[in-house]
Amino acid sequence: MNRERLRRYRTSLLIFLAVLGPGIITANVDNDAGGIYTYSLAGAKFGFTLLWTLIPITVALVVVQEIVARMGVVTGKGLADLIREEYGFRTTFILMMMLLAADLGNTVAEFAGLASGMSVFGVTRYVAVPLGAVLVWALVVKGTYRLVEKVFLAACVFYVAYPVSCFLAHPKWPDAVISTLRPTFQFSGSYLYMLIGVVGTTIAPWMQFYLQAAVVEKGIKVKEYIYSRWDVIVGCIITDVVAFFIIVACAATIYLSGHRQINDAGDAALALRPLAGHAASALFAFGLCNASLFSACILPLATAYYVCEGLGLEAGINKRFDEAPAFYWLYTSLIVVGALAVMLLSEARQIPIILFSQVANGILLPFVLIFMLHLVNRDDLMGKYKNSRLFNYIAWVSCVVMIVLTLLLVVSTFFPDKLPA
Amino acid sequence: MIYFTELEHLPVYGVKGEYLGQLEDLCVAPAQNSLRVASYLVRSPKNALICITHEQMQSLSVRAGQTNVPRDEVRCYAPDEGLLKVKKDILDQQIIDVNNRKVVRVNDVDFDIQPTDHHAELRIVAVNVGMAAALRRLLQGLLAKHTIRMLTSSFPTRTIPWEFVNLIEPDPQRRLKLRLSYDRVAELHPADIADILEELSRDEQKSVLEGLDDETAAQALSEIPTRMQADLLESIPTEKAADIVEEMAPDEAADVLQELSPETSAEVLADMGKDEANEVRELLGFEENTAGALMTTEYVFVHESASVEGAIAALRNFEGPVELIQMIYLVDSDAQLTGAVPVGRILLSQAATMLKELAMDSLISVPSHARAVSVVDLFHKYNLVSLPVVDDNGHLIGVVTADDVLELVITKKQFRNRG
Repeated sequence: MNRERLRRYRTSLLIFLAVLGPGIITANVDNDAGGIYTYSLAGAKFGFTLLWTLIPITVALVVVQEIVARMGVVTGKGLADLIREEYGFRTTFILMMMLLAADLGNTVAEFAGLASGMSVFGVTRYVAVPLGAVLVWALVVKGTYRLVEKVFLAACVFYVAYPVSCFLAHPKWPDAVISTLRPTFQFSGSYLYMLIGVVGTTIAPWMQFYLQAAVVEKGIKVKEYIYSRWDVIVGCIITDVVAFFIIVACAATIYLSGHRQINDAGDAALALRPLAGHAASALFAFGLCNASLFSACILPLATAYYVCEGLGLEAGINKRFDEAPAFYWLYTSLIVVGALAVMLLSEARQIPIILFSQVANGILLPFVLIFMLHLVNRDDLMGKYKNSRLFNYIAWVSCVVMIVLTLLLVVSTFFPDKLPA
Repeated sequence: MIYFTELEHLPVYGVKGEYLGQLEDLCVAPAQNSLRVASYLVRSPKNALICITHEQMQSLSVRAGQTNVPRDEVRCYAPDEGLLKVKKDILDQQIIDVNNRKVVRVNDVDFDIQPTDHHAELRIVAVNVGMAAALRRLLQGLLAKHTIRMLTSSFPTRTIPWEFVNLIEPDPQRRLKLRLSYDRVAELHPADIADILEELSRDEQKSVLEGLDDETAAQALSEIPTRMQADLLESIPTEKAADIVEEMAPDEAADVLQELSPETSAEVLADMGKDEANEVRELLGFEENTAGALMTTEYVFVHESASVEGAIAALRNFEGPVELIQMIYLVDSDAQLTGAVPVGRILLSQAATMLKELAMDSLISVPSHARAVSVVDLFHKYNLVSLPVVDDNGHLIGVVTADDVLELVITKKQFRNRG
């Protein structure tokens, strides 16, 4: 009897480990170079005061990601496929082009993150970026699946660099915890801008496409969905726990030092050195390089994948170059353009690309969320796995809030001076 | 040639030239005629959906549709599951291109206009999956139709003739009403069907699988990854699953049953024919990755005292797939394995020749608990095409064939490479 139960526990655990992955990997890619910079800046400029936003962000993230994971499991189709079948070719094409633009900007940001992380160790970007690009390209195109999986899992583990570096910074833990649980608000433009930035960087449109495609790819059965849901929830919590440690580390050091302006994530690592010691600084920079490389690996790959799928072109790493030319061209050009932009353009001239990508993200997100909510409520697609009415309310509220904030972010990128100081 | 993209939103007029509305969709009634557009769905300015039958359509062009009915005589559209709608059911959906054995997504549908006694008839010619069609979809409504034709003419078109198109409809009842069958898919090589299955979502896989005869389904299923096989078998009714598993080679059947949940596996076994189920049960008793788990129980054996004539009689009575038989095995009265005779040698010998004389000089066999790796090594070392498996007492209990070993080696390699 007891043994039987033990065996059942063991089987559940095994199933969980087998379906585990899509949610956690998505979550870790989410904490990429852009994310780390935004969180660092939030901590450096506003101390603990933005920590409370992480809880509602986590809830919204879980709600959105759970929906797409469920759609993937139940329909067995990717989000791009479902959108194509429901909304036609033109809509899909426009969405995919915007996604491409957004992700190109994100890729540039990843390589910029790698450059700035490596500069902390004294490596010039003219060495770091091309090496990183070749590594990423070769790993995916030439590497074996086993190897890629191991590398990715290792990369996930390295995020522990942030909590450790945060502990080394000796923050006031009680204050940090209280600020996380008690919402506060400052009515200033820069605070609002930062808040929107944190939301925008945490919930991005590529994540919905990526997660759903990954769930489908993994062939998770409806029966196993419960485990997949936990994978998503654990993943979203990990994302925001890492974000928490980054904010706290920067708040405990850079914010308190009074010199609060940092220009990129590498800056944050450098600023940590006199305040929290060499080890904390090095760990922070290492985490940044790891996250940048990890995301530079997955983002271009995923983008090429669903752009091709949505447009009905052959895609997949298991296909030869001549079978899926569009896929390989897209993947390779995203990496090459991303890396070249960081090597050839001065930082000031990279900004338009990143702003453009932010705008594309911002315009894309409302469409993706609304399409997603429409699709998940369709009887013929989801049957009894539709959203419940209560869940729909929560989902709509989260989505509307996110849409408003994202649109504000887009507007404020164009008119940064219109915000009250 | 006229494309659906050009027909969509076409203004449609009544007999006196009065405006009826915009063309929204085209319906085919496969039960009557699988090529002809049977009716035209038109969205009136008041947002009602009206239905123009094919006899009512006087003439049709890229500019307008002219009917021979006055506005007050047109009837409203009543939903009909038996109608295949071009926009809803074909455009942007995945179809199976039977000719090229691939799953593709439809970008556009090509039609021919044929004047037939006093009215225009529209016939489906092909579905379009090329770049030109994609560009046409993008530009539709933004530029004049002839400009779009000019622009797209330089792009490559890829069309699939309508007779090679196999639509996928997950709902079995609707499939019946639409007279949709997977007969043409069933004619493909099982390995190609397997490739197609892998491209589809689970509901679609289910639909195709249910549409195939049990034997074809079993062969195709044997070619896809075991986990996916188990997934699919669990999603279809147990009876059908049992029928399919029954048709599979016993070793393949055992592999997939092992992957199913214990309850489903038991149900499937219970629904299978007694003999087949017993064979599979025996195989299920062997530990994974041993010779016992690899072997099949379908092989030909005769008593060691038999002649060539007896061997040929045994081959004729054999119920399994003969094309895989390379060896006839000899056993003594105690069912102990004593020899192996290549089928080729039997063919070249006189009917009265004793099989014993034709047997291979050295008899290589493997115990059922031997590891799969050592089986692979034996095949490699002795250049075998099949290898008899014996139990602890030397009784012949099964045979490992080269195709199983090849599959084992390749999946192992793929697993190492890409999972």
